Amino acid sequence: MKKVLLFLILFLFFPLSVFGKEDDTITLYLFHGDGCPHCAEEIEFLNSIEDEYSNLRIIKYEVWYDEGHADLLDQVRKALDVEESGVPTTVIGDTVITGFGSSTGSRIQRAIEYYQTEEYKDVVFEVTAGTFRKEEKHKSDFMEKEKKSDQEMTMKIPLFGKINLKKVSLATAAIVIGFIDGFNPCAMWILLFLISVLIGMKDRKRMWTLGLAFLITSALVYMFIMLSWIQIAVKITTVIWIRNIIAIIALIGGIVNFKSFFTSHDSGCEVVDNKRRKKILKKIQSFTRNKSFILALIGVMGLAVSVNLVELACSAGLPLVFTELLVLNHVSSVMKFLYTLLYILFFLIDDLIVFFIAMFTMKITGISTKYNKYSHLLGGLVMILIGILLLWKPEWLMFQFK
Amino acid sequence: MKIIKISAIWCGACLITNKVWNQLQKNYDFEAVELDYDIDEEEVEKYSPGNILPVFLFYKNDNEVARLSGEVSYKELEEMYLKVGE
Repeated sequence: MKKVLLFLILFLFFPLSVFGKEDDTITLYLFHGDGCPHCAEEIEFLNSIEDEYSNLRIIKYEVWYDEGHADLLDQVRKALDVEESGVPTTVIGDTVITGFGSSTGSRIQRAIEYYQTEEYKDVVFEVTAGTFRKEEKHKSDFMEKEKKSDQEMTMKIPLFGKINLKKVSLATAAIVIGFIDGFNPCAMWILLFLISVLIGMKDRKRMWTLGLAFLITSALVYMFIMLSWIQIAVKITTVIWIRNIIAIIALIGGIVNFKSFFTSHDSGCEVVDNKRRKKILKKIQSFTRNKSFILALIGVMGLAVSVNLVELACSAGLPLVFTELLVLNHVSSVMKFLYTLLYILFFLIDDLIVFFIAMFTMKITGISTKYNKYSHLLGGLVMILIGILLLWKPEWLMFQFK
Repeated sequence: MKIIKISAIWCGACLITNKVWNQLQKNYDFEAVELDYDIDEEEVEKYSPGNILPVFLFYKNDNEVARLSGEVSYKELEEMYLKVGE
């Protein structure tokens, strides 16, 4: 019995490789330059995905200051007939990816996944060891598939020329989700009250400055929160269970929105939290009437900060879902910023319309509340859809439908 | 006939309904009373306006005979006026 137990323990805990299992390690080589911003971006990206693949090994070679590494990169390029030069250059098997842009991250991940099932050959190692034979090489069809997919992802549109569908899809998502998010009425009432107080002032310059300060601060706060979340999400959402938590938050947010659609009044303004509202109204009156312009400005900006923190909670996860969409698609930092800016612009569009009409006509107008109910329905649908896709088909959120 | 409109300066729907409210006053002869939810707080409380603004309270012989709340159209407001005013 003891012998049987011993055998079982040995069988369970002995490394499988000892029994002759082939090494399935996939090595990703990154040739980078110290001080190159795109290289730094790729390194950050690789660090974020490293834990996602148990058999992935990442080796980094600096080529700007290390001649040996630069020579190796030249040899690899020659061996694989690659004409493109520059850093970062990523080599996985016999696939070479030069540069790092908005879509490179997902391409690298696809390459890693490709070699999980297809034949993998460590070309860089073979070049280093001098065992690489050009005539023997069996070229994988990964890049051909990618080129084909790239062609499918672009579309020729008259006047606009070639358009990348992924970029268009993300921009559309920014516009649609931002617009739906902006329709939640949590902060509109504060802007309306502020405008009504501003209109009563005789000083037009002060009116414009305080109103714009409120709107710009609102945009900055929302943007700061969204970009901070992206920074965190880039680091943590590659871990599957955190992505799943975000998916569950999206599903819960979706259900809350659906509930609001069915339970909220058809139209009109809902009176909530009398105490808080009165406090805010008093604050606005005292800020705007303050003789010191600087104090009035600080007061209005402070109010915008607190209002938008509440608004963020009020929107029940739409910005969270949108930032997750950006992270999933591995877009570059500049593009993340631009997409977020687009989101904020459409988020604030109703506020901007009301503000500019009031400032130019000196009459306060409201935006109809008849469609608020439907913003809950649309918001709910978007969140539930994204939540489901995050759980079961995250690649669809990366606009890969194969 | 008396119609009391309870609205608030911060309420978008109240601003939108200003137009239909003014139109009704132009077209029909009734006593129009406007109350602000925050400024006329004590007076407003007497009418238990609920939590949706604006609210239109229709009074006949000092008795409330109907009420409408939310962003109502001119047609809705007029229909109610004609219904309870007869």
